Amino acid sequence: MSAVWAAARAAIRRRKLQTFVIGLVVLLCTTTTVVSLALLDATSAPFDRAFAEQRGAHAVAVYDPAVVTGTRLAAAKSGVESAAGPFGQVVLDPENDPGPLLRGQITVVGRADPGGEVDRLDLWRGRWPSAPGEIVLNETRMDDPIGLQITDDMKTVQAGGVTLTVVGWAYSLSATADAWVTPEQMTALRPTGTQMLYRFSGDVSTREAIEQRLAGVTAGLPGQALLAARPYQVIKEEMAESAGVYLALLGAFGVLGLLVAVIIVGNVVSGAVVSGFRHIGVLKSVGFTPRQVVAVYLTMVTVPAMVGAVTGTALGSLAAQPLVADTFRDLGLGQDAGVRIWVLAAGLIGVPGLVLLAALLPATRAHRLSAAEAISAGSSPRRGRGLRIQRALSGTRLPRSVSLGLGLPFARPARTALTMASLLLGVTTVTFATGLSESILRVAALSAEAGGNVGVVSRPPGLGEGTQRTPAEVEAMLRAIPGTAQVGVAARKDVVILGHSEPVEFGFVRGDVAAMGYERQLLEGRWLSGPGEVVAPVQLLNARGLKVGDTLTADLDGARLSLTVVGAMYEGLPGPSDGLIAAWRDLDGLSKDDFYYMVQLRDGADMEGYLAAVRAADPGLDAWDNTGDDELTVIVTGSSALFAVLLAAVAALGVLNTVALNVQDRRRDLGMLKSIGMTPRQVIAMLVTSMAALGVLGGLIGIPVGMAAHRIVVPAAADAVKLTLPDYVLRVWEPGTLALMVLSGVLIAVLGALLPARSAARLTIARVLHNE
Amino acid sequence: MTTETVVRLDGVRKEYGGTAALDGVSLEIRRGEAVAVMGPSGCGKSTLLNMIAGLDRPSAGEVTVHGERLDLMNETRLALFRRHHLGMIFQFFNLLDDLSALDNVALAAQLTGSSAATARRRALELFDELGIAGRRDVYPAALSGGERQRVAVARALMNRPALLLADEPTGALDSKAGEQVMDLLIDLNQIGQTLLIVTHDERLAHRCASRLVELADGRIARESALDRV
Repeated sequence: MSAVWAAARAAIRRRKLQTFVIGLVVLLCTTTTVVSLALLDATSAPFDRAFAEQRGAHAVAVYDPAVVTGTRLAAAKSGVESAAGPFGQVVLDPENDPGPLLRGQITVVGRADPGGEVDRLDLWRGRWPSAPGEIVLNETRMDDPIGLQITDDMKTVQAGGVTLTVVGWAYSLSATADAWVTPEQMTALRPTGTQMLYRFSGDVSTREAIEQRLAGVTAGLPGQALLAARPYQVIKEEMAESAGVYLALLGAFGVLGLLVAVIIVGNVVSGAVVSGFRHIGVLKSVGFTPRQVVAVYLTMVTVPAMVGAVTGTALGSLAAQPLVADTFRDLGLGQDAGVRIWVLAAGLIGVPGLVLLAALLPATRAHRLSAAEAISAGSSPRRGRGLRIQRALSGTRLPRSVSLGLGLPFARPARTALTMASLLLGVTTVTFATGLSESILRVAALSAEAGGNVGVVSRPPGLGEGTQRTPAEVEAMLRAIPGTAQVGVAARKDVVILGHSEPVEFGFVRGDVAAMGYERQLLEGRWLSGPGEVVAPVQLLNARGLKVGDTLTADLDGARLSLTVVGAMYEGLPGPSDGLIAAWRDLDGLSKDDFYYMVQLRDGADMEGYLAAVRAADPGLDAWDNTGDDELTVIVTGSSALFAVLLAAVAALGVLNTVALNVQDRRRDLGMLKSIGMTPRQVIAMLVTSMAALGVLGGLIGIPVGMAAHRIVVPAAADAVKLTLPDYVLRVWEPGTLALMVLSGVLIAVLGALLPARSAARLTIARVLHNE
Repeated sequence: MTTETVVRLDGVRKEYGGTAALDGVSLEIRRGEAVAVMGPSGCGKSTLLNMIAGLDRPSAGEVTVHGERLDLMNETRLALFRRHHLGMIFQFFNLLDDLSALDNVALAAQLTGSSAATARRRALELFDELGIAGRRDVYPAALSGGERQRVAVARALMNRPALLLADEPTGALDSKAGEQVMDLLIDLNQIGQTLLIVTHDERLAHRCASRLVELADGRIARESALDRV
């Protein structure tokens, strides 16, 4: 065994607490780092990643089979890296109601299998069609019981005189079809188009680039052969709108996690080396070369760091996988959201590398010290620091153990600064996470409140017979059911606005809609006060180039109406409607499916009982609980809480390390204080006070920083998806919450300080004083 | 000198990992006595001092100081006992580098709950008595060895202890400073302060102590009265 290894092993054994702290800090930091990097990696290009995994189609092209043959299409490969097809394609209009996931016309494609060079489908339920009469539907993977129940209930699709049995569910990120059948079945359905899926070589970053590539492919084909083509950017932009706000928020946590990990690892490791100066002196005096001394110290630090890094990488990988997978599956992005190799490498190599770097700087200083200097570094009197403050504190009326504790941080300003940084980041994280969770909950609450906590519609075709009541009768019936507090009714209708190419969906509302939270959603302007007014979701206003104060002319059942936009809202009515909201009017041509009823229950009302009462009162009505958090909300709030706890724990370990080092440094002082009558409780009070003071300071600085981060990041995340959040969502800070935040800083500091303080209180005075 | 017993050790044994550092030591120190404990390295001198100061516990036997059984006390009661009844001075002074000389001394009284002003007043009296009044605002790093030990003595005397324990009080001092500290200890004993000095230095023992206890292999090998030089 080499002398270096023997000395390092002895040092590890002798410094059990420090070795344990280094190992644990590295473990937690590595876990945080791996989770952070996995999230950052996943959030930086979630679509691209899922798209690459599915080998998504850069372009989905549909050709006219009457103009060009499949054989000729398969041969046209200019600039094509890989292609799939030709697949027969037909648009069907189901004669039955297959279920809530399929509405209106569906595009069906004939494919022999879900794999291939392009658009590898995720067949997540059932099997692929193996015979005519079978069909697989396109839908995002669903694991929850309700989702699975819905898919179970969708048994057949009847169209074109054929009944197709649903045998499976698959997901195409490229949205190449609504459903797939066997090629034989497709032939029987008489395809009206031939689908080709392309992946191109070269630049595919823009729509223009894709169009150019596509032009290259179609160059030799007859002029009218191409019926339609869609570049993948269309899907990517749609995905970005729904995913952006969550990804940006998770990404922010990733950055914060990395920052805290780096600072705390640096703090702990450099402290370990500095506190070992005396040992370094002894090693040198017995003949260790400066290089060997440095090697001893690096080994001493690296061994627990490697154990921590390996365990942390495994834990981080385990923690990140479900987090990333759940998030992206919910967003419809990809099936294999595993942690990438480079993230694992960062945990296994990067973090120990960082530890080595952090150890190397002070170790280099030890390298330069002479043996005598190094030995005396731990035992000779030092010139005191923060003397004026110490003097002022000694004159205060505070108990002496407290005033001594308050002075301790000034004795080692550099160490105190690093500890402060840990605490500051800990408090900032807790503050940011609390604010973020509250904002997300408020967004969810706004939506739930605005939609009422019960949604009611006429039972849709295919799921039983609809209600026979008129909307006014349904409203009256709902108001009469015990537990009802408020009822709002919306009638949906597409309305042509002069000057706009596409009609706009209107929700004509009556009842208690304004009082059901919609007014709270107003970002600008006011709620409706008369028939000539509309309010609109801000996304619609942006998309249509409108603003509050604008006047629109609508063509409603042949009559011209002048409508003024009086308010901009955070979001529209529940359901698929993101349209304008106007005051109720009796309209022609509406079916019972066009009415949506919102019910706000009284506090304490029994939800299940209420839903049963609605169904019993009118079996033609479908009522459901609207209050549940959506899964993404749970994931984001859950992951933010996880990060906050993890980083707070790491910050507390940073404090623990500082106090442990301080105790090590001041063993003689502590022994002396105990010898002149300082009780164990006073020793604990002194050491805990020294960190609690930093905790208070960390709280006072960290809270505004966390609040500012929240104020910048949350609107920026919303802005990424062209969303404006109401003030109610951003102003989440109450005095009580802020006081709790300050306490979080103190709590982190006290929890971190308590263990080494207790061990200091148990120091054997005789050994400390006589061994020096 | 009264006959009141300040320290009584009765069959005290202390083992470290099966090895006896003290083996059945019995000893009495009366009020106003100055006792020196001497012996070769490893004979148990420091262990004996630790027992009397309540810094360590005996494996067997009884330790009574100022009428109270230290071997039966918990850590907190021991700390309170030391605070009120014992003063200690060490070879390496053990002053807090971050506090001025005056605040180092005042600290001992402040721990008992005295106000800062009261503690500083008492500390100043001691500084005057020990001849270091001019060094009150100086920090330990800027004091000479002799001055540091005087500050340490002042701190030990702050709460008017029944017993002053000195562990090699001149061991880290040059001869001149050592002489000054010896004079100081003699003066203190002459005004009635009970002293227990653990030392290797025969000259210190003979100058300051009225009784010599010699230890060997954890036992009292010899006790003798001394005529101060």
